[in-house]
Amino acid sequence: MSRMYSEPIEVRDQDGRPLRFVWRGRLYTVRGVLEHWVVSREWWQRNNPDTDVPAEREFWRVEASPGKDVPPAVYELRRDVETGDWLLVRVWD
Amino acid sequence: MRYGTASPGALAVRAAESGMPALALTDRDGLYGAVKHAGACGHEGIELILGADLALREVPPRPSRLQPRDRAATGPPRLANETAGRVTLLACGERGRKGWASLCRLVSAVHQSGERGVPAVSPDLVADYAEGLIVLLGPASDVGQAVAARRPDLAVAALARWRDRAETVIEIVDHHGPGDTHNAARMLRFAREAGIPAVLTNAVRYLDSADGPVAQVLDAARQLTPLGPRHLAGRNAQAYLKSTEQMARVAARICGSGSCRGPRACAGRCDDPAHQLLDATAALARRCVLDKARDLGIGTKHLPEVSGEDAFAQLRQRCEEGLLRRGLAHPQAPRAKSRWHPWHGHRENAADRLSRELAIIAKAGLASYFLTVADVASLIRDRGIRCAIRGSGAGSLVNYLIGISGIDPLEHDLIMERFLSEGRKDLPDIDLDVESARRIEAYRAIIERYGEERCGCVSMMETYRARSAIRDTAAALGLPPHEIDVIAKAFGHIRARGIRGALADLPELRASNLAIPQLTSLFRIAERLDGLPRHIAMHPCGIVLSSGTLLDRVPVERSAEGLPLCQYDMDDVEAAGMIKLDVLGVRMQSAMTYALAEIERTRGERVDIDTISPDDEPTFEMIRSGRTLGCFQIESPGQRELVTRLEPRDIGDLIVDISLFRPGPVNSDMITPYLDIKHHRRPACYPHEDLAGPLGETGGVVIFHEQVLRVIDVMTDCGLSYAERLRRQLSDESARATVRQWFCGAALGRGYDDTIVERVWDVLEAFGGFGFCKAHAAAFAIPTYQSAWLKRHYPAAFYAGVLAHDPGMYPKRVITGDARLSGIPVLTVDVNASAGDWQVERVPPPPGAMRDGPGEGLGPGTGRRKALRDRRGEGLRDRRRRGLRDRRGEGLRTGLREVKGISNAEVARIVAGRPYTSLRDFWQRARVSRPVAERLVLVGAFDLLYAGPGRQPTRRDLLARVGVLAGPPAARRDIDQLALDLDGGGGGLAKGGGAGNVGDGFATLVPAGELPELSAAERVEAELEILGIDISEHVISFYEKILGALGVVRARNLHRCRSGASVLVAGVKTSTQTPAVKSGQRIIFATLDDATGPVNLAFFESVQERCAARVFGSWLLLVRGRVRRPGQRSSSGSGQQPGAGGQAGTRGRGGMAGRGSAAGQGGLAVSVNAAECWDLAVLEEIRHSRGIRAVHAAMAAGDVPGKGIAAAAPGAGQPAAGSPAAVSKIVYSTGFTLSPYAETGSSGGAAKDPPRKLWHASPGSSGDWMATGRERAD
Repeated sequence: MSRMYSEPIEVRDQDGRPLRFVWRGRLYTVRGVLEHWVVSREWWQRNNPDTDVPAEREFWRVEASPGKDVPPAVYELRRDVETGDWLLVRVWD
Repeated sequence: MRYGTASPGALAVRAAESGMPALALTDRDGLYGAVKHAGACGHEGIELILGADLALREVPPRPSRLQPRDRAATGPPRLANETAGRVTLLACGERGRKGWASLCRLVSAVHQSGERGVPAVSPDLVADYAEGLIVLLGPASDVGQAVAARRPDLAVAALARWRDRAETVIEIVDHHGPGDTHNAARMLRFAREAGIPAVLTNAVRYLDSADGPVAQVLDAARQLTPLGPRHLAGRNAQAYLKSTEQMARVAARICGSGSCRGPRACAGRCDDPAHQLLDATAALARRCVLDKARDLGIGTKHLPEVSGEDAFAQLRQRCEEGLLRRGLAHPQAPRAKSRWHPWHGHRENAADRLSRELAIIAKAGLASYFLTVADVASLIRDRGIRCAIRGSGAGSLVNYLIGISGIDPLEHDLIMERFLSEGRKDLPDIDLDVESARRIEAYRAIIERYGEERCGCVSMMETYRARSAIRDTAAALGLPPHEIDVIAKAFGHIRARGIRGALADLPELRASNLAIPQLTSLFRIAERLDGLPRHIAMHPCGIVLSSGTLLDRVPVERSAEGLPLCQYDMDDVEAAGMIKLDVLGVRMQSAMTYALAEIERTRGERVDIDTISPDDEPTFEMIRSGRTLGCFQIESPGQRELVTRLEPRDIGDLIVDISLFRPGPVNSDMITPYLDIKHHRRPACYPHEDLAGPLGETGGVVIFHEQVLRVIDVMTDCGLSYAERLRRQLSDESARATVRQWFCGAALGRGYDDTIVERVWDVLEAFGGFGFCKAHAAAFAIPTYQSAWLKRHYPAAFYAGVLAHDPGMYPKRVITGDARLSGIPVLTVDVNASAGDWQVERVPPPPGAMRDGPGEGLGPGTGRRKALRDRRGEGLRDRRRRGLRDRRGEGLRTGLREVKGISNAEVARIVAGRPYTSLRDFWQRARVSRPVAERLVLVGAFDLLYAGPGRQPTRRDLLARVGVLAGPPAARRDIDQLALDLDGGGGGLAKGGGAGNVGDGFATLVPAGELPELSAAERVEAELEILGIDISEHVISFYEKILGALGVVRARNLHRCRSGASVLVAGVKTSTQTPAVKSGQRIIFATLDDATGPVNLAFFESVQERCAARVFGSWLLLVRGRVRRPGQRSSSGSGQQPGAGGQAGTRGRGGMAGRGSAAGQGGLAVSVNAAECWDLAVLEEIRHSRGIRAVHAAMAAGDVPGKGIAAAAPGAGQPAAGSPAAVSKIVYSTGFTLSPYAETGSSGGAAKDPPRKLWHASPGSSGDWMATGRERAD
């Protein structure tokens, strides 16, 4: 069962790969990357005619847990390549 | 095609940069880019791999019920994607050329099977050509789709079908989209389990990820859907050419993601499979490397085999026969070509020339080529298709002797080396002109003769230009169709990458309000489509001839006409060493054939146009007077001006004329010095007396390429072949310095002194790209002369041909206008007289034949020069005086095809059913649609049928009767009854019976004269709308009032105005051109027709801000401007335009001919430099409703609300801020500057289509009469 959140989070990363993130005041450690993909944004609906770079979003589906003893759950993180902002998209528990 | 966005060249450069050893190109559905890719790889020094990405044929659902699995039994297995998928086939280079040959033949077979345009492959088809092919099954293949759908059972079965038939490899692709990595890992596992190799690719579509959106637009355009998340689910911009390191990372990701659970866990374990994957990929690449010489056959010639003995011996024999046949066998005394060229040199000996040419041909090994082309030419002529040579090939005596060409190169002093020179590696071009209407027939004949294994048509990639790019992009963005239409049509024929530039530069676009932020995104993407292939089409003239192994080297598909179509374009075909024969359809050839057939049909005379006397004085007299409208090559306003100044007296003069009328010579003012010398106003002068030979024919002015060769040869003694090689380098800036060094050195070595060598070099350099190949001009001059001859001696037939095949630049109504001015009546459509096309018809001499001309009587000239004489006046009087063939008995009958909306089937039925006795008869037997019947009535197609004594039905009456005939059956029954009664009484042909009321039963229902006849204005309106031609009266005649009130000067009086005078002119726009001019300005040249002749207009950049939109957008124009006489520099005229030609470069020209003083004394060519213009129809409307004062006020206001363009001109007389100063110009090294928008044609309103509404709706006239007619009928 998954739930959508789409809440901004803070992420510590290494070469773009997320290592830890803070969500709702708790620090989560990434245990493993399940999947990682890139999707183009719907550039044709946006009105920023000045950029030539296609807006992309990076998705990371990771296993993470907020502590050593807590069993990991699956989190989907999203990074907007243009702004560098991270979002927690959804969580499987 | 409509898939990738990068050129082979760019990809190869990038691949070489990132150190890749090999690069594969796998076009979708073909091998279109193979030769270009081979060239690019060769250039970059990387290995060449080729393949094709083919669609799979939809397989009927497999009998899955036989399988024991339950899930399969519940229904036919459906894969995620509705389409059957795609596979890639690679040619394997291991087994010699077999791999490439198999690939070519497979691609051809794929296109051959199934529907045209929907090529699809199946495993069975692959099996037929499996040798040397490798099947790559990627994520889009049936196997890949099954794996992604987690149906290993289906995947195994699908794989088996491929493995049984050909060598198969799994292709792993990870574009980093959602699920991609997982699927790639699954594919890899699947391959391992199945025990077949797997390779990694990135299925590259573009160079950089920034091009991703462009690819998405292409996807949307291909699928005819707007962009939306549904159609692009999961697409991203990762399908770019990734570097080796990036691909290694991809490999690691694929191998890691499936099994490992974190970065630490996979260390050491996952490296292995990733390495294996990369190694396997490299190994496959090595196996697939092709050799462009061995496989594609690049670098060798593949000429058709010649049957029988040695080809060269055959050629020699045929040439010797030709010498006898053409009467050249005996050495001839040198003879002057023409008394008009006293300086002309001697004539070369034919036998010497022949042996020289044959030596070159033997050395190049091209004998079979010449034999083949000769065979093709006779093949075409044997079918009765007119065929003429064009281009440099006319310079070869061999071509003349073996019957390819009809031009004696010795007579016109043409040289072969321009066509084929020693040491030239590429194959020479011989171009043939055939009748346009029978071009396809000629192709079929050639293909039939040589077979499809040797012969096919050349293809041509239609690429994106501004309009098409905007259309496709806007559709992808989901704009409404009518908006797309408006935006796209606002742009002329410019390159897509110049869209935003044009928007800023061109006045008519600046006024269009398109430069708004909402559209910027559209334009940005559209610009990036520039030059990408849009679809493949048949090249308009190219035919490939090759040896019998064509199909091993070239993939072939079908054209729309069902002809075999090579997937290579012209350059590729040449690069691949095949003969490219240009067989061009020329409308004028068709027009002349038509004219000859009309002559025979109406007069029973057989005219052989190819054997007419080459110096027919009446013909040249007509040309000199500028009455050349409709003639080949010399009908444009500029040409008509030039011929009146050049005064041609023989074909040689025509050759010069055609060569001179090109942007280079015109703008570097080569014309004036030449004319001065020709008309003995100045003596000819040569830099050195040795050059009197080569330059003698043009009095020292360099006009022809041939002269350049001779000059170089004379000065350096290098031989013509070498001279030709130097000439080719002259146009290349970087090579020119080397050429100069060599030339000066060699010439000095021959003892010419310093200054002379310098001067000659200056001339050669200035000559740059301006010159013209004389052989080409000579080839053009023949049809030019022939068409002029026909116009002079058989004008009616000539006009019929021109109107039927529309070969020229003018709308048809200009041609009919010209015919009328020459005293040939133009007759409207008639159901009993008209054929499908225009025909000559015997007419009784018009009642006014003894007057000077129809309409106002005009004296022939008023003591002015003859050329100035009013053309209508001359039309009848002069001809009568000269006692030439009487042609007043001939008229032109409009063809049925001119009727708007008529179908070919309707035309055929009408013609087959003639004669008709009544409208009812016509309705019942010709079975045309109601709108067509109504249109026929409106243009008077039934007038003759009902002509005769007594009361005749008006066109409105007849229209009402059509309404009855097409009406409900109840009403029809009554008339049927009536008709039965009356038909017994005696109907018969209307002409014969003479009764106004033909027995069709209508007389009682819609009595003749019940409804009023159409007014003259209504008739012309109907004619223009339905036929596009004003037959009964000239359109302008309805504007006589306003023209009179405004004091508009008519074309025939324009020459009386002094130069620089400010005048108003008006007329129907017949042409607009924006040719290249020296100053780099964009000048719009327009021609108006005001019923008394043409008015030539020039709009300079300074006034385009105000005028451009109206010039392109309106059909009827009123223009204020200043009169300019020929020979005066335009800058002296009004001062409103920065000198168009005044700043002519002086470089080089002075060297040989000096600067022209006074220009030639021309006649007709008074033109007007426009300053302001208005839409005449709008002004007339104002006059009609508010009087002439309001018109003056509106004109003074500078702008009247025309259609759609309301941008008020900022400050009359002042160029607007931000006006064209910034337009970038293309500057040639010779000082020739070119506007980037030269020759881009008009945007918007074409001169050929009159708008719907031409003038004000006068009360009680048009408008509702149609409705009235219908009401009555019901």
